Amino acid sequence: MCIMGKPLNKAFENLGKGGYGGVWAPLFCRSGSLLHEQVMDAGEAWRIALEEASATLPLAREDIDLLRDFGELLGKSDRDMQQAVLAMEKEKVSVMERKAKEEAETTGKLYRNLGALLGAAAVILLI
Amino acid sequence: MDKASHLYALDRLRSYLPDRINRVVGRMASEEAAGLEELRINAGMPLMGVFSGFDRFIAEDGSLTGRSEKAFCLSREEVEELFYRLCEHSVYAYQDDIARGFLTLKGGYRAGICGKAIYQGQVLKGFKDISSVCIRIPRELKGCAEPIFPFVKAGRHDIYNTLILSPPRCGKTTLLRDLCRIISTGSERADFAGVRTVIVDERSEIAACYRGVPQNDCGPRTDVLDGCRKAEGIEMALRALSPAVIVVDELGTGQDAENIKMAWNAGVRIVATAHAYDIGDLKERLGFGILIGMGGFERYIVLGMRNGKRWIKVTDAYGNQLYTDQAAGLHDGVFRLHGHGAEIFREAESQAACAAEVQGHPSVPGE
Repeated sequence: MCIMGKPLNKAFENLGKGGYGGVWAPLFCRSGSLLHEQVMDAGEAWRIALEEASATLPLAREDIDLLRDFGELLGKSDRDMQQAVLAMEKEKVSVMERKAKEEAETTGKLYRNLGALLGAAAVILLI
Repeated sequence: MDKASHLYALDRLRSYLPDRINRVVGRMASEEAAGLEELRINAGMPLMGVFSGFDRFIAEDGSLTGRSEKAFCLSREEVEELFYRLCEHSVYAYQDDIARGFLTLKGGYRAGICGKAIYQGQVLKGFKDISSVCIRIPRELKGCAEPIFPFVKAGRHDIYNTLILSPPRCGKTTLLRDLCRIISTGSERADFAGVRTVIVDERSEIAACYRGVPQNDCGPRTDVLDGCRKAEGIEMALRALSPAVIVVDELGTGQDAENIKMAWNAGVRIVATAHAYDIGDLKERLGFGILIGMGGFERYIVLGMRNGKRWIKVTDAYGNQLYTDQAAGLHDGVFRLHGHGAEIFREAESQAACAAEVQGHPSVPGE
């Protein structure tokens, strides 16, 4: 977001409209337009946009909370500090991603075992 | 800039102001608002405006007062909010400007920032705990240099090396900007074709670039080196931009004088400004002697104030007066005191007299 030192509203709009945003594009677009109107700070704009988009995003409540906290520190410090904040948030997201993968594996195994069990039960019932 | 344009500029500025300050500024009478030159916003202090050169506090109902206890007071949070708004909520994007102590905003406004300085080694990195903001409202007076331009012009495609001198707040930069516009655009009236011009705008005051776009009209043949130091800017311009004229603001050091000489040696004309009461005042400064007299600047434009009105004088290198006028050029009255009564006029006279006495220079030309 610090590329070319663009203000957040421009950076968000570029991310939203430039095709880099993927499923997040509407979130970036909305944050950018809220900031452009200058009626609220970056944290508030990000929070509102996130709340509005949360229904359509494939995220758990915990993920949404993490992203909301990240918004609080946006745009309020110099480049070094913003980079440090981004690095910290990236680390947090990695941890959550690892957890989600482990959960998916555990749940996947459970579903696989449950499927086999149900299959066996059906065979027993049919015999 | 006429009254309507100035009020429009003030309206644009209001979009940056937090709600309460915005409402107070909005309540000001249009007559008063038209004279507003600066808005000074200090945490925990009364809101103050500079009106036609004079400080006045602003009350909550938008009226002007000389008594600070009646004025509208601001909280620290409001000053902080204003700072974030001026930075478009992106402090990192304005980090370099903040380290220089000011922000140039869309519309050419300039906001000076005060707070706790942060150093990284010997280098000033920025400010935190912002305590005050001083917003200067731009005054672009197109045409104010028209009467003096014939004395600056040396031919259809050439001008004289020209130095504008005045004490602070007498309109040097405004005049320089308009001279630059005429030099770059050309003038049918003065039979001047217009030449390539480079502005080395160290303090972003001449062109007032916002994200690379000059907010003031500096002419179609003008390139702007925004935020660039004079020494580097002059060298870069000579090397890469092939200008006929280089425009610089506020010469102040011996090194500046050396850089000007370098440009002259490359055959480029210089139009510059300097803080000084007259040529003698400038001559006394270390290093400036080489710019004055034979082989130095060929035209001097000296500005001053009397009775709250500006005067202007053009001389050649030998001190021969070519042009003089009271309140010429800036005839719409940048410094004319409107609507403040005789008390302000007396204050203006006494301030001008004091300033002249302190410097040991007359307050009017030829006295």
